[in-house]
Amino acid sequence: MTTAPIHVQAEGEVDHVHSHATGAYGWFATVDHKRIGILYLLTALFFFAVGGGEALLMRLQLARPEAKILAPDTYNQMFTMHGTTMIFLVVMPTLVGFANYFVPLMIGARDMAFPRLNAMSYWLFPFGGALLHFSFLAGGAPNAGWFSYAPLSETPYSSTSGTDYWVLALLVLGIGSVAGGINIIATVITLRAPGLTIRRLPLFVWMTFITAILIILALPVLNAALVMLLIDRQMDAHFFQATGGGAAILWQHFFWTFGHPEVYIMALPAFGMISEIIPVFSRKPIFGYEFVAGSTLAIAVLSFGVWAHHMFAAGLGHRADLAFAGASMLIAIPTGVKIFNWIATMWGGTLRFTTAMYFAVAFLLEFVIGGLSGITFAAAPISWQMTDTYYVVAHFHYVLFGGTALAIFGAVYYWFPKMTGKLLSERIGRWHFWLTIIGFNLTFFVQHILGMLGMPRRVYTYPDLPHWGLLNMVSTVGAFAMALSVLVFVWNVVHSLRRGEPAGNNPWDAWTLEWATTSPPAHDNFAKVPPVRGRRPLWDLDPKNNGRTTGAITKLRVFDKAAVGMWAFIASETAFFIILIITFVFFNASTKEAAAHLDVKTTAMFSVCLFSSSFTIHMSEKALSQGKQSAFRGWLAATVLLGGTFMVGQASEYRKLLTNGLDVNTNLFATTFFTLTGFHGLHVTIGLIALAVLLGLAFAGDFTKDKRASAFKAVGLYWHFVDVVWIAVFSVVYLRNLA
Amino acid sequence: MTNHDLLLTWDKDPFVIGVAVLGLVAYAIHRRSHLGKRALFFAVAWLVFVLALASPIGVLAHGYLFSAHMLQHILLVLIVPPLVLLSLPPVSTSSASTQGVGRFLVPWLLGVGAMWFWHAPMLCDAASRSVSVQRLQTVSLVAMGSAFWWPIIGPRLAHRFAAFPAMVYLFTACAACTILGILVTFSPTEVCSVYASPVDRLGVLPLVRDGWGLTPSADQEIGGLMMWVPGCLIYAVSILAMYARYSRDEAEAPALSKDPT
Repeated sequence: MTTAPIHVQAEGEVDHVHSHATGAYGWFATVDHKRIGILYLLTALFFFAVGGGEALLMRLQLARPEAKILAPDTYNQMFTMHGTTMIFLVVMPTLVGFANYFVPLMIGARDMAFPRLNAMSYWLFPFGGALLHFSFLAGGAPNAGWFSYAPLSETPYSSTSGTDYWVLALLVLGIGSVAGGINIIATVITLRAPGLTIRRLPLFVWMTFITAILIILALPVLNAALVMLLIDRQMDAHFFQATGGGAAILWQHFFWTFGHPEVYIMALPAFGMISEIIPVFSRKPIFGYEFVAGSTLAIAVLSFGVWAHHMFAAGLGHRADLAFAGASMLIAIPTGVKIFNWIATMWGGTLRFTTAMYFAVAFLLEFVIGGLSGITFAAAPISWQMTDTYYVVAHFHYVLFGGTALAIFGAVYYWFPKMTGKLLSERIGRWHFWLTIIGFNLTFFVQHILGMLGMPRRVYTYPDLPHWGLLNMVSTVGAFAMALSVLVFVWNVVHSLRRGEPAGNNPWDAWTLEWATTSPPAHDNFAKVPPVRGRRPLWDLDPKNNGRTTGAITKLRVFDKAAVGMWAFIASETAFFIILIITFVFFNASTKEAAAHLDVKTTAMFSVCLFSSSFTIHMSEKALSQGKQSAFRGWLAATVLLGGTFMVGQASEYRKLLTNGLDVNTNLFATTFFTLTGFHGLHVTIGLIALAVLLGLAFAGDFTKDKRASAFKAVGLYWHFVDVVWIAVFSVVYLRNLA
Repeated sequence: MTNHDLLLTWDKDPFVIGVAVLGLVAYAIHRRSHLGKRALFFAVAWLVFVLALASPIGVLAHGYLFSAHMLQHILLVLIVPPLVLLSLPPVSTSSASTQGVGRFLVPWLLGVGAMWFWHAPMLCDAASRSVSVQRLQTVSLVAMGSAFWWPIIGPRLAHRFAAFPAMVYLFTACAACTILGILVTFSPTEVCSVYASPVDRLGVLPLVRDGWGLTPSADQEIGGLMMWVPGCLIYAVSILAMYARYSRDEAEAPALSKDPT
């Protein structure tokens, strides 16, 4: 009864998008989630070498006081590129790469929900990386730090095009990440194998899912801020420049509204990896699954409310500091819960110390150090003292390297056999492990002390003060040990690919679904997916095991993936528009300018067109579902017409304003007005293009009640969203003047 | 006036006393035969209601301190209604609730509207000036709050949202209130002009301004932060409660479907 496998995803459901091209071209043209996953990982490894090289150059410069290896400006470029590269081109893509490879396998699916979108997400990544690095050839890399604080990042202070490339690269990468996030969400919601309820989800999948939600909500905040910075730099506007009435602090708020969730975007999937590795090598199910999963939810929700703790030194005032210090300390609770759960999982287990487990245990130790120094930063007075010193550098490297990177190495040792069919060498693995741990702690532990001694971060050199030279030398030696460890790691990968022991399907005797298929998995992942009755489906299969679950193979609710994807996209776009609207309100506390320039009545008339187009598209959908083709086409054509009329209204308003001499950079009203309505107009235009395409297809007879109706509905949802945004924009920009 | 005097200054508004007594009597009659653990929720709700309106919090909220007003507001929308709903025994009815977006949107708009609507400068001032508007505000806050929490912890089980839609509902409400909190915190202009220049009917003002050092702008900032941080935490805690309920319910649920094998 337990062994009869069941089918998932009908044959042919995903095959039509699979390219069967072979050889190198096959890798370029692939839409297979496994190949895309590997492409992510390899590209990230390449950028890891680049970012690591930059770090080594910085450590060489800092090895001795008053060294002259790097010029000051070059040094600034190095730390900016190192930070940006490691976060956006290494850590995030690596985690997305693992998600790409393993989420479909772990939930018993054949591919991601949107394979082509997946390929687009990937290719935006090397494109963004190339854009960023092209700046080296175009007059100098960005040099304003990875968070590019305004006004330093504004044209008067960063006059090379480096920052422009930085902005463009991050926008490209941000769009790719959001698309990836939407894909992960749709995959987890719609493609789980029967029986795999949310409550039985492997923790890696659950945490990746939560991360995807953070991605689609946090990245748009950065994108909105980047767009504003670009408008400042390219069109002489003043969002973040005090000279034109702008507010530099606003950049900090927006950046950290993104930046703090970003920390968890980089940490949660790592927590997920640890939550897979530790139970398997302890031969026990995870201790307190609900607490590990629930605390992830808590971290995600809290992460949006605590960004201001990055800004204690920015002068928000005691009251705000107090509120955010309290809220930030709360995050320690769910994180601490996880640590104790992992320890309790190992407690009394039959531990098997493979290299993967070594890394997982080291993660626990090093991440706790990073977490504890993080709590010290939640106390505003300590933050004032320590901010912008090497103590900060030590702290976030303990979180991102001691935490995330060690978890990633653990995951590589754990999952490499599944991806390649070969085991990584345990012997070389131990060398890799110990070199990493020794090098890492040498490099960064002493930086705590340097920070307390008062060494500021981001300085290209330092005077020969007592202990500074020695501690920095230790740090540099450690950095080179880390570099060596990476070489050992790469050697292990190359060596094991050639001569590694064959892995078999399930070398670790693990219990999640990815181990049920061959290593590497076939093109379609599974011939048959095993039944899922609990959290450890493969464990439940073996009659010899004690404590097998005999839960029902719950039938899952079916969701339309087009609708789920569109809702996720809408959530993401909402975050983007909220930032634009907040910015408008922030700079237009007085409605004097708006009242002087805007014609509420005319715009109201055109707005009615847009609002009524929501009704016509609804009627069109209804006609489609009733099979009335001509009514369907008629209502759809009416929608396009009404949307087009609205855009004509917008265009004529713009023309009037521009001829009256109100330009984007005239004042902050004009800047915020054109930015907000411009982006809305862009969205309407995109919607119109989509609708026009649909209209063409409709006349070609491409839509019927059963055929592609869900795709039509998804576009309809988008159109409603564009209208709802206009309700908000119209109220804030126009109607407020009447009050 | 000293701190001690202020603690003894309670508002003896007959309307508040009336509502409180009426509520108590109504609950006692409704649940007379089985006053169990649930009555405790009602008792706490009742206490919070009285504290919010009649205690010095209510006194200060009435024209003195925006932050006290905000505290009152949060208590009336986010604490009292859910506690009252929890004090009612759950009923399983077979009547299916209405479907569609409205089921989600209407209570959401009422709950978020309770926060935004009364902070429009005009209405905020009106509520501080006129006693009848203030009473209307109190009633509407509790009513809108109840509508908001009804699909989350209301007694009619059929009306409750499933766990994951409930989380989205709470998270988006949290975001909307956070945005209001941010706007209030950083707004250069006052939200309610009444609190900028209070009429000192009880002689509390010297204590507040000199004793506590609360300037009008500091007062508004604290109010905004209250909505932003602790206000949002209430939603965050409810999201976790939804997750806990989901975990428990599914663990207890009998096999939902037949084994396909």
